[in-house]
Amino acid sequence: MPDNSAGNSAIENSVMRNFIGSRAMPDLVYHSPKEISDLLSMVDAHGTSARVVAGCTDFIPSVRTGRWSFDQELNLIDISKLPVLNQIEKTDDVLKIGASVSLTRILESPEVKVHCPVLAQAVEQMASLQVRNTATMGGNICMASPAADTVPPLLVSDAWVIIQDAQGEHKVLLTDFFTGPGRSVLTSGQVLTHICIPVKKANEAAWFQKIGTRTAVIISVVSAAVRVTISNGVCDTARIALGSVAPTPVRVAEAEQFLEGKPLDDQVIAECARMAAQAISPISDLRSSKEYRKDVARTLVKRSILACREALK
Amino acid sequence: MKMPLTFMLNNQQTTLEVDARQTLLEVLRNQGGMTSVHRSCEEGECGACTVLLNDEPVNACLVLAASVQGASVLTSEGLVKNGKPHPLMKAFTDELGIQCGFCTPGMLMNAYALINRAGDNLLTDQVIRKTLEGNLCRCTGYVNIIKSVHTAQKAKLAGEWW
Amino acid sequence: MKKREERLILGKGQYADDLAFFNMAHLVFVGSPHAHARIVSIDTKKALALPGVITVITGKEVAAHTRPLPVQANFTSKGWTWRLADVYAIPADKVRWHGEPVAAVVAEDEETARRAADLVEVAYEALPLAGDLRTALSPGAPKVYDDWEDNKQVHLVFDFGDPEKAFAMADQVLQVTNREGRVTGVPIEPRGCVGLYDTKNDTLEMWGSFQTPFLSRHNIAATLGVPEAKVKINAVDIGGAFGLKIHAWKENVVALASKLSGRPVKWMEPHRDFMATGPHQRDVFWDGTIAFKNDGTLLGLKATVFHDLGVESTNKGIAALSIFPACSSPTNMYKWVGMHVEGIGTVTNKSFYCAYRGYGKDKGIKFIEAAINQVAKKLHMTPEAIRMKNFIQPDEFPYHQINNYVLDSGDYPAVLNKAMEMADLDFFRKRKKELAGQGRYLGIGLVTAIEPAGVAVPNCQMGGITEARVLITPDGSVEVHSDRTEIGQGAEISHATIVADILGMDMAHIHVKRVTSDFIGQGPLSSRGAVYPASAVAKAAKLLRKKVVQCAGSLMKIPADQVVLEKGYIYPVNAPEKKISYAQFADKMFFFPGPRGLDPEILKAHDHLLDVTTTWYSPTTPESGSSYTSFCVSADIAVVEVDIDTGVTQIVKYVHVHDAGTIINAQVVDGQIQGGIVQGIGEALYEGLNYDENGQLMNTSFSNYLIPTSVEAPDIEIAHLETPSPFSETGSKGMGEAPIIGSKAVILDAIEDALSDFGIRVNDAPATPEKVRKWIRQASGQNQ
Ligand SMILES: Cc1cc2nc3c(=O)[nH]c(=O)nc-3n(C[C@H](O)[C@H](O)[C@H](O)COP(=O)(O)OP(=O)(O)OC[C@H]3O[C@@H](n4cnc5c(N)ncnc54)[C@H](O)[C@@H]3O)c2cc1C
Ligand code: FES
Ligand code: FES
Repeated sequence: MPDNSAGNSAIENSVMRNFIGSRAMPDLVYHSPKEISDLLSMVDAHGTSARVVAGCTDFIPSVRTGRWSFDQELNLIDISKLPVLNQIEKTDDVLKIGASVSLTRILESPEVKVHCPVLAQAVEQMASLQVRNTATMGGNICMASPAADTVPPLLVSDAWVIIQDAQGEHKVLLTDFFTGPGRSVLTSGQVLTHICIPVKKANEAAWFQKIGTRTAVIISVVSAAVRVTISNGVCDTARIALGSVAPTPVRVAEAEQFLEGKPLDDQVIAECARMAAQAISPISDLRSSKEYRKDVARTLVKRSILACREALK
Repeated sequence: MKMPLTFMLNNQQTTLEVDARQTLLEVLRNQGGMTSVHRSCEEGECGACTVLLNDEPVNACLVLAASVQGASVLTSEGLVKNGKPHPLMKAFTDELGIQCGFCTPGMLMNAYALINRAGDNLLTDQVIRKTLEGNLCRCTGYVNIIKSVHTAQKAKLAGEWW
Repeated sequence: MKKREERLILGKGQYADDLAFFNMAHLVFVGSPHAHARIVSIDTKKALALPGVITVITGKEVAAHTRPLPVQANFTSKGWTWRLADVYAIPADKVRWHGEPVAAVVAEDEETARRAADLVEVAYEALPLAGDLRTALSPGAPKVYDDWEDNKQVHLVFDFGDPEKAFAMADQVLQVTNREGRVTGVPIEPRGCVGLYDTKNDTLEMWGSFQTPFLSRHNIAATLGVPEAKVKINAVDIGGAFGLKIHAWKENVVALASKLSGRPVKWMEPHRDFMATGPHQRDVFWDGTIAFKNDGTLLGLKATVFHDLGVESTNKGIAALSIFPACSSPTNMYKWVGMHVEGIGTVTNKSFYCAYRGYGKDKGIKFIEAAINQVAKKLHMTPEAIRMKNFIQPDEFPYHQINNYVLDSGDYPAVLNKAMEMADLDFFRKRKKELAGQGRYLGIGLVTAIEPAGVAVPNCQMGGITEARVLITPDGSVEVHSDRTEIGQGAEISHATIVADILGMDMAHIHVKRVTSDFIGQGPLSSRGAVYPASAVAKAAKLLRKKVVQCAGSLMKIPADQVVLEKGYIYPVNAPEKKISYAQFADKMFFFPGPRGLDPEILKAHDHLLDVTTTWYSPTTPESGSSYTSFCVSADIAVVEVDIDTGVTQIVKYVHVHDAGTIINAQVVDGQIQGGIVQGIGEALYEGLNYDENGQLMNTSFSNYLIPTSVEAPDIEIAHLETPSPFSETGSKGMGEAPIIGSKAVILDAIEDALSDFGIRVNDAPATPEKVRKWIRQASGQNQ
């Protein structure tokens, strides 16, 4: 995630790194496997010197800003040329998206439009066309940024990821994937290969909204995704996820539970939004204060539920 | 790691000796001589380095050169035919969609892909603005750039295009 | 005919980053991670051990081989505070701001230099900060410059007209405050250059993004201790400047690196460096009281403006000097009885302050426009009514303003009327009321401004020098030389148009030359371009035309007043068929002048050489002391909608009416306006340089110093009036900065109008969504 890493923020007398406007790329060996088996053996063989990249739109800025530095020669394993990871498939009730599918392809995919429109809605508001043309959803998830915009829609969609390593395939619910800012359950030797999303049902609507200091090409100050299913005018299931308000994107369970079993009237929605904002304790940083984050989270949740209600009419 | 890189550069098969750690931006400028591909932020934020990779705009500063093996790359130099400006370039000059000229090559490439994608559909201001959001310009306020894109599309629909 | 634009669009531009010389080395700066710290030691061993590293220059080398940066402005007067600090291009003792260079690595290639930059080991002892204006001014504050008494750099005091009388006449007074956050210009291209020190001849030549080569030569020569005559500075294609490339600072280190290494040395600055160590601007706080009558007549102002200057400018004294126009400009376009304005500038541990589109004159205007709109509200007048009441009238020009400005010309009411008509004010005012009932908040902003342009200030390097040369070559083409670098503001088209018109030639034959330090002049700063250089070029072309006419008359044996110059040909008015081309004419003048061709008297008077060099100086400045020559006029009206739940502002409509005198090229003028307006919108809504409590700059990239993209930039409706300036050679007025002034003020005014139900004063730019929301919450007593 592009941020202000040219200088560190902790003040200590000796160990602060030099301010350098743009840092050099590390020495690296470039690998471009064409088969999953090659990929897995490379990741396994190179251990901690291996780094899997897809679109590089996070990798390169991280190097330039010094957020990442490498003492040893790096084995860069580019998964973007793997045909099997470059597919969007629909099987039964699941939409399965390969880790190297670009954001642009997700945005333009008819399957995504029909089966997970809230994801397309989020992707459309991400980065710029140039970045979307190379960046991947796998990368967006793996960088584990609290502000990653594809994550709230995936969380509310009950998505899971498939991780592969020498031992085989593992299915991990996205709710269990993140362990902190920039951290996830992925360990060295593992690759995220697919993202799986249960398809949208008939009585269901979902909505994504984000807010930043500017409209376009902006990292979210807060993002919100909501998904509700309705039967007989009453909310069956509710999912509410927020980005940029905690060390990882989060779901707000209490607010979700509050909504379930209730009609989506204005009062219920307002209360639910209030609870969602109540549940989070964001931090202040260079993009926003915690007060604004809490405040606007409430508005985004409220508006997203309203939009779902409108869509279900 | 040094390696030979073979790709289509402005419609010509090209082989360059590159280092695996180089970005496409560095290789196009330093080894390829394509100095219209401008460098500013090197972090994908400004769009000055926009080129077409297999016909789609990307920021050359965020692409590893090694990854374009066998691909096709088009820079604004590649739009020039027999020394003549492309109709898109002519539109930018006519409408003064260029001031300092630093953002221009990137703008051109993004606009070129947009107009090609649009086919016969007339582009709206809104679509042009949304598409160019990743190409920052500090001089023009974008007004004449948007005009230039409209004018260029008209030229294309009138059959003046390559 | 757009020669330069055609060349650039074909990819033939040569910007600083495109420069390549045989055997060229590359330089990368190592910046301080601390905002204020003593440099204990620098260990360059590891860096030097990296293969490909040539040398590492630190403050020690800089102190040994160069002098402190020269004084560029010394604007002292009795009773004022005016301090200048001795600074070197790289400090040896302590660092004073986050990012300040402590070393420069020179290597065979840039990549190696960047790697080595990470290996330079600097030990620091952190010092307490004077991190903001309030801290810096408080008693016992940490000192930025140890040898100063305190951190106050400047305190200027001005009395214009009779302020006491103004306040005595007043029915009412109103206190108004206004804050503008710290911003910067952000051309998309950062700074860069190549230095080539020729050790055989002891000469230095540089190529790069130099906005003012003549001034840069003086400053670089002075720093390196080389005679100016042995230094040449060449401006190459420049990717935007807006004042930020007037500098010659890091460039000194590049020159030194070339001298020490005996190699051409290139430096291309990364964008983050430009943000952290580039010129910053604004960051002012105004506290003033405005005096007026109940009928809306404006009388006077008493105000103090505080500037957070950051460290001493690398253009020493130039930052402090910008306080002078800030203090003078509140008079704007109205009649006043008197003003008392004080300007205070403080050094802090932030990057330095220098020119960015506006240079101070913008500040006073933005403040007074906000103040006048407050007065209008208080008196229940419309913003247009109060302006109409106080405008200087069209028959009053030239008008001697109380601050010595001699306002040249204009029709202020006509400009405002036109803008109101275009903006459909009545419609939007009605619409605002309609929407109010639906929980939507529309706001209409209105401001008017003049832009003081064409600067000449005594006691500084911006004294008004300019030189131009126009000559016809033996093949009949024309060379135009001036100090006006092309920074994307249409210098070449404008110059070529002026010369082509005067000489009756096609623009294809006019060649505007790249600017080098060989040409005297302070360059295109403070909107001088259309005033000084353009006037000098027009004057030279007119003198040249006289020569052409005289020689052609002599050649054709007709009186000079019967010679016609048209479309590249010269002919007797009565015998167009006898036309000769400029090429034929020039050939005769250069190689076969005569005696059978030309009147011997012409030869004796040396009048046959078709080459004129001349200078130009403002006709008003010498006697009045008016530091500006022309004053273009503008009115901005904006309609915005504010989403009160998120604080997000949307621009619904934007109208700008402009009178910049005679228009040389309408496209160029419109381009300046559109670009300037969008920059002003950026300042009003998004842009801010924020330092954290440790003095770390938080906005060093395009992802967090947010300039408008094509999505936020609005459609802009423009109309022109053309009242020629009597004081410039072409009737044109400088106008490069006006749009950024009005647009920032009008957007803030419109937001305030949108929030009128909440009674909020929008007086702290930028009005980011977060800030707007905070104001709303405060105003409505919400504390969540
Ligand atoms: C100008 C700009 C604007 C941006 N705007 C937004 C925005 O609006 N919203 C937003 O959310 N993000 C934004 N980003 C961030 C961007 O979305 C992400 O950088 C992108 O989605 C990452 O995808 P990638 O394929 O390029 O990742 P890469 O850079 O290739 O990888 C990112 C990280 O994930 C790891 N990784 C990648 N793929 C895998 C895998 N399959 N298995 C294991 N590890 C993997 C890499 O090792 C690396 O650590 C922006 C970035 C830029 C440059
Ligand atoms: S240089 Fe590539 S986007 Fe800025
Ligand atoms: S023309 Fe200067 S940045 Fe676009």
